[in-house]
Amino acid sequence: MSIVLARIDNRLIHGQVLESWVPYVHADSILVANDVVAGNPLRKILMTAAVPKGVGVFVETLADAAKLLSGGILIDRKVLLLLATSEDALTLYRLGVLYGKLNLGNLHGGENRRRVSCTIAFAPEDLANLGQLEAAGVRIVAQCIPADRERDWKKLSPSPEG
Amino acid sequence: MAWSLDYLYAGLVALLVGLDRTAVLQLLICRPIVAAPLTGWVLGDFQLGLQAGTLLELLWLGRLPVGAAIPPDDTQIAVGGTTLALMMGASAGADGLPMLLLCLLVALPLGKCGQIFDHLARQGNGLLLIRAEQELARRRPAAATRWHLLGLGFFALASLGTYLGIILPGSLLLPWLAPYLLAKVGDAAPWLALAFPLVGIAVFLGALRNRRILFLFLMAFLLVYFLREGF
Amino acid sequence: MLPLGVRLRILLRLPLLQASWNYERMQSLGVLYILYPALRFIYRDEDLVLACRRHLEYFNTHPFMAGPILGTTLALEEERSLHAEGSLDVSEFKGMIMAPFAAMGDAFFWGGLRPLFAALALLLAAAGFWWAPLAFLLFFNLPHGLALIAGLRGGYRQGLGMIGRVQRYRLPDLAVRCKEGTALLLGALSAVLVADTLRSAEVASAWGPCALLPVLLLGGLARLGVSNLILILLMSAALLVFFG
Repeated sequence: MSIVLARIDNRLIHGQVLESWVPYVHADSILVANDVVAGNPLRKILMTAAVPKGVGVFVETLADAAKLLSGGILIDRKVLLLLATSEDALTLYRLGVLYGKLNLGNLHGGENRRRVSCTIAFAPEDLANLGQLEAAGVRIVAQCIPADRERDWKKLSPSPEG
Repeated sequence: MAWSLDYLYAGLVALLVGLDRTAVLQLLICRPIVAAPLTGWVLGDFQLGLQAGTLLELLWLGRLPVGAAIPPDDTQIAVGGTTLALMMGASAGADGLPMLLLCLLVALPLGKCGQIFDHLARQGNGLLLIRAEQELARRRPAAATRWHLLGLGFFALASLGTYLGIILPGSLLLPWLAPYLLAKVGDAAPWLALAFPLVGIAVFLGALRNRRILFLFLMAFLLVYFLREGF
Repeated sequence: MLPLGVRLRILLRLPLLQASWNYERMQSLGVLYILYPALRFIYRDEDLVLACRRHLEYFNTHPFMAGPILGTTLALEEERSLHAEGSLDVSEFKGMIMAPFAAMGDAFFWGGLRPLFAALALLLAAAGFWWAPLAFLLFFNLPHGLALIAGLRGGYRQGLGMIGRVQRYRLPDLAVRCKEGTALLLGALSAVLVADTLRSAEVASAWGPCALLPVLLLGGLARLGVSNLILILLMSAALLVFFG
């Protein structure tokens, strides 16, 4: 397997991912690892419909995503891995998907969240989850689109980007 | 005082096309290919504006207004650059091109301030959301929806701020720069006028990172070039 | 069925979706503003306040795709007010559809049509047609207007059936075709511009294809993350030193 980008983005598949990141990292497959979306047929269809023909889409539960990545199907594919929350990112890592770098895209809204940049708002549990990932050796950076500057997740401030 | 009125008219154009960027309609009158000729037309020289528009249009064509990422404000660079060129006495045709190029080169870095103003407008809009929620808490839904329209004011202010951020330093810098640089720019003018679109095209193709697209571009170039010029 | 006046007011409010775009909830207040005439017609008093609160939740999509999305939203709201339980919760519908439709709209309108018609307009301008900007506006705004007007109407009439209808257009694949068309037009445009420049500078036209080298070089620099602003300023400085 080769994960060319692992990204936390609560919007999962959307314009920033398809128009900027897919060409930038030359991804030929998108793997959405999310228990809610994988269990909802309509959401699965909608996600798949947003992606052009040349790019493969897989929408799986976290457990199935880990199996898929360790199996042979994606062996010579360039996979863009999308996760909705920091909790999912940690769970998948513990299931044996050892990505070396984690991109923070969009983490919006909701209660008890503190906004640290234009697109990222952390809840206390996010800090704990990301801290554990970092301790395990994952480099965690915030970068909304490739044209933005890559910034360490602990040095974020709510200032203009890109 | 005709000249100061011209700055005002250009400011109104800046406001109109600036709102089109995000806040209203998005007819794409904010694109340089429309905004610059519109400015030129209002100030009395459509052709010079069209020239400015064709020079600027491709530069940030590949930058999409997706999500929270704010692209550079090529709209106000187009309006401000055209206005500066006309105020500095450029006219349509070959003799006006060096001054236009010089004004655009000055306007380009100044336009960076647009991202800051746009960001401030979006932060201001966050206050409107809080106000709307307070109205809903008081069971006044109609009043809540009215706060929405105030966002137009913030975006309009951001457009005007960027316009002034280009025009004010620009009109101070240019009389000082022009004696040194205008002759040099004049000698290099045809090459500079070619560099603008080519840089835009290069960045556009570079961002797509697609071999098939690059191949199509190269084939089209060679085919059209040799059909026009002979082998 | 909502009265014609209410539907017209919603259509007129639709282009103002992003007027209060903010980092907290993005287009949410815009959605409330657009839907309000209909909500006021469907609900009264406490129910109206509840409905407004429901639509003030986080929302962000492509501004043109808001036409079909909000059309279907209206259909679902109406259904909900008639029967206690609608076929699909309105908030759930908006939450699941906004990102995929945003992706389609970004790819098709911003990534596909906008560069395609811009390249076409520049080619027209290079050929000396002064109406090139008007052609650009006309070409782009036909599909834009269609998405807003026909989209809102279609979403309202067909409800969830709208999703299948929009999918059948295969917008992401169309966007790829648009990009290929753009590449062809840009190739033709640069050929014309290079040929004209060489002629006015009295350089032999055999040098023309050499212009491809700086394009490839600059494209490579852009891929390495050098910003457009730096590239154009450096390029201009180099040209000024060389020719000035």
